[in-house]
Amino acid sequence: MSSPAFAVLGLYANPQKIVDAAKEIRARKLGHMEAYTPYPVHGLDHALGIGKSRLGALVLGMGILGTALALLFEWWTSAVDYPLITGGKPLFSWQAFVPVMFEVTVLFATFTAGLAMLFAFNKLPFFGHPVLHSQAIKGITRDKLALSIESTGAAFDTESARQALLENGAESVEVVPFPDWGRPLTLVGLLQIIGAIVAACLAAGVGIYSVQKMLPVVQPMLHMHDQPKLNAFRSSKFFADGRGMRPAVAGTVARGHLPPAFTTPEEAGTILTNPLALTQKVAERGRKVFDDHCMVCHGSVGDGVAMLSRAYGAKPGNLLTNEMHARPDGYIYGVVMLGKNAMPSYAPDLDESDRWAVVHYVRILQRSQNAKDEDLR
Amino acid sequence: MTSDTVRSSAVNRNILVALTLLGAVGAAGVYVSAGPARFWANWLVWTLFLLTIGLGSLFLVALERLVGAHWSIPMRRVPERIASLVPLAVPLLLIAFLAVPVLFPWTFPEAAHNPILVAKTPWLNLPFFAIRLVVCSVLWLLYYAFFVRGSLRQDESKDANFTVRARRNAPFFMVVFFFTVTIVAFDWISGLEPEWYSDMFGVYLFAGTFLSGIAAMALGVLGLIRRGRLTEVKSKHFYNLGTLGLAFTVFYAYIGFAQYMLIWYANLPEEVVWFKHRIEGAWYPVALLLPLLNFLIPFFLLIGGEPKKRPWVLRIAALSIVLGHFVDLYWLIFPVLGPEPRLGWPELAMACLFLGLGFLQIRRAMGRGADMPVGDPLLVKGLEWQL
Repeated sequence: MSSPAFAVLGLYANPQKIVDAAKEIRARKLGHMEAYTPYPVHGLDHALGIGKSRLGALVLGMGILGTALALLFEWWTSAVDYPLITGGKPLFSWQAFVPVMFEVTVLFATFTAGLAMLFAFNKLPFFGHPVLHSQAIKGITRDKLALSIESTGAAFDTESARQALLENGAESVEVVPFPDWGRPLTLVGLLQIIGAIVAACLAAGVGIYSVQKMLPVVQPMLHMHDQPKLNAFRSSKFFADGRGMRPAVAGTVARGHLPPAFTTPEEAGTILTNPLALTQKVAERGRKVFDDHCMVCHGSVGDGVAMLSRAYGAKPGNLLTNEMHARPDGYIYGVVMLGKNAMPSYAPDLDESDRWAVVHYVRILQRSQNAKDEDLR
Repeated sequence: MTSDTVRSSAVNRNILVALTLLGAVGAAGVYVSAGPARFWANWLVWTLFLLTIGLGSLFLVALERLVGAHWSIPMRRVPERIASLVPLAVPLLLIAFLAVPVLFPWTFPEAAHNPILVAKTPWLNLPFFAIRLVVCSVLWLLYYAFFVRGSLRQDESKDANFTVRARRNAPFFMVVFFFTVTIVAFDWISGLEPEWYSDMFGVYLFAGTFLSGIAAMALGVLGLIRRGRLTEVKSKHFYNLGTLGLAFTVFYAYIGFAQYMLIWYANLPEEVVWFKHRIEGAWYPVALLLPLLNFLIPFFLLIGGEPKKRPWVLRIAALSIVLGHFVDLYWLIFPVLGPEPRLGWPELAMACLFLGLGFLQIRRAMGRGADMPVGDPLLVKGLEWQL
C-alpha cells in the first residue's frame, strides 16, 4: 500500500448488528469511529459515543445576542441618536421594537445554526470525502451499513482494525486509502467558476428583462400599485403643462425666506436690528450654523484663518477686526443673505432665524477673542 | 387495583363531592350577596376554562388522527378523558345564556341609540346568538361522541375501520373547531365589550385553547405515570408533548403580541380602550402575568432537548400554562366588572364548585376503558416509536 490508510470500513446488512459492533469496537479504542448508513439507525449515535451537540446552546446564545443587539440598536437610533416622535408615542416604544427584535433573533439563530453546523461542526469546505472513493460506497447509498474505524495519526493499525470488524460480524472489510487529490482549486477551475457565475447572471438578467418587456406582467395587488394620485416628478395628462407636480404660485414666499428689503449689506445695517433674543438655545444654534457653513472659510474662531482658505489662496474676511466690531448686526445679516466678494449668498441654506442666530454667534466670537476683565467674573 | 387504592380513591371522591357541594352553596351566596354580575362573570370564566381545555383535548385527539401521528397513541386516552369536560361544559354554557341580559351591553336598552351596536345587530341579536350557541353545542357533542366514544368502543371491538373513519372525519372537525372557537371568542368574550373589535381574537382564544389542551394532557400523562400506570409510556413519548408545548407557547405569544401591537400602533379610540382597561392601574400586574406564565416560563423550561424528558420540568411548564390560561380568561372577562381586579371569597367559592365538577367529571371518565387505546391497531407502532 503506497498511501496511508484513511479508514477501515466494515460492511453490515443489519442495523442491529452494526449498533452492537459499534459498541464492542469502540471499547478497543482503535481509532475514530464513524458510520455511513443509507437511513438513520436508532441508537447508533449513542453506540458510537457521539455526545449531545453543542449547536443548540450556541443557537440559543446567538439568538439572545440578536434580541439584545436589536433592542440596543433600536433604542439608540430612536431614542438617542435621532429622537423623533412618531404617532404621539414615547421615543422608547418597546412595542414597536419587538418585530425587529424577533426578526433579528431568528436571523442570528438560523444563520448560526446553518453556518456553525456546516463550517464549525462538519468542518466544511471539504472537497470529496475519502469514503466516496471506496468500493463500498455503492452499497452504502443503497442497502449496506458501513462501520468505519478512521485514522487518528501515524499509529493507526489497519490490521487490528480489520480483525476487530471481522470478529464483530462484518460481511466484508475494505481499507480505504487517502485518495490522490490534486489541488482543489486551480486557476482554470477558478476562471470556470467565475465564468459560470457571470454567464448565469447574464442569462438571468436577459431572461428577466425580456419577460418584463415582452410578456404582459400581471402585477399583484393592483389596487395598491395604481392609485389615482399624482406623483412628484411624474408626468400627468390632467394639467395643461403636462407636469404632475404643481409649481408654486408666482410670488409665493416660503416661511423664513422673505425676500430682502435692501440691496447692499450697508443698507441692511441701517434698517435691520436682530429680532432674536440671545438665549442659550439661540447661541447653540448659532454655533451649529457657524460650524456647518462659515467655519470652513472664516476659521473656527472667525479670524479668517482656516485650512481650506490657505489651500486655495483665498482671503476670507477676519470677523474679529475693529471694523467688524463696529458694524451693526444688520450688516452681518445682509452679508449672509447677499454674499460679499467671493462669498456666495447663504439665503437658500439658512432661514431667517438661523441667519440671526449666526449673527449672535459672531458677536460671541468677537467678545470671546477680546474679553474684558468683567467677563471673567 | 388493590383495596388500598380503592379506599383512597373513594376518599378522594368524597372530598371532591364535598368541595363541589360547598362551592354550590357558596355560589348561591355569591348570587345573593355579591350580585348577579359578579356571579355570572365567575360562571363565564370557569365555564370557558373547562370548555376550552376540553375542546383543546378533543382537538389534540383529532389532530393525531389527521396527521397520522404514532407517538401520541399510547397517551391518547388522556386527552380523550379530559375531553369529557366538553359534555360537562356544554350545559354550563347553556345555563350561561341567562348571563346575556346581565353582562352583555348589546342587550341593554341603551344599545338602540349606539350607532356602532346598531350596525352590529345582524350578528348581535338574541335569536341568532341562541342559534349559534345550540349549533356549536350540538357539533361539539357529536364530535365528542364520535372520537371519544368511538375510541372506547374500539377497545372491545378492535375494529380497525374506526381508525380509518376517524382519520377521514378529522379534517371536518378541524373546520368545525376553528369556526366554533371563533364564535365562542366573539360571542362570549369580546361580546362583553361589543364596541371593541379584533380580527385576531378568535385565533387568540384558539392558541390558548390548544396550548392549555397540551398542558392538560402533559399533566394527565405525568400524573398517571406517577401513580404507576401507563408504565409503557417513556420519556421519548412525552418529550414530544414538550416540543408541541414549546411550539404553541411561541404561537400563543406571537398571536397575543400581534393583536396587542397592532391595536397599540393604530391607536384607534374604540379599539385601544379595551387594552386600556386591561393594562392600566391595578390590572397591570395581571397583564404582566400573561407573558410570564404562558410564554417566558414554559419557553425557557422547554427550549432544551434534555429538560423535555424530565417529568418535573414538563410538569412545571404545564402547570404554568394551565394557570396562565385561567389568568388569561380572568383578564379577558373580569375587567367588565370594574377597574379593580376582584378576587375574594366569591371567586374562591366558584372555583370550588367548578374545579370540583371538573375533577369529578374527569374521574368518571377515568373509570371508562383502559388507560391506553388497546383496540387501536396502531398502538404497537406508537409503543415502538423511537425519537
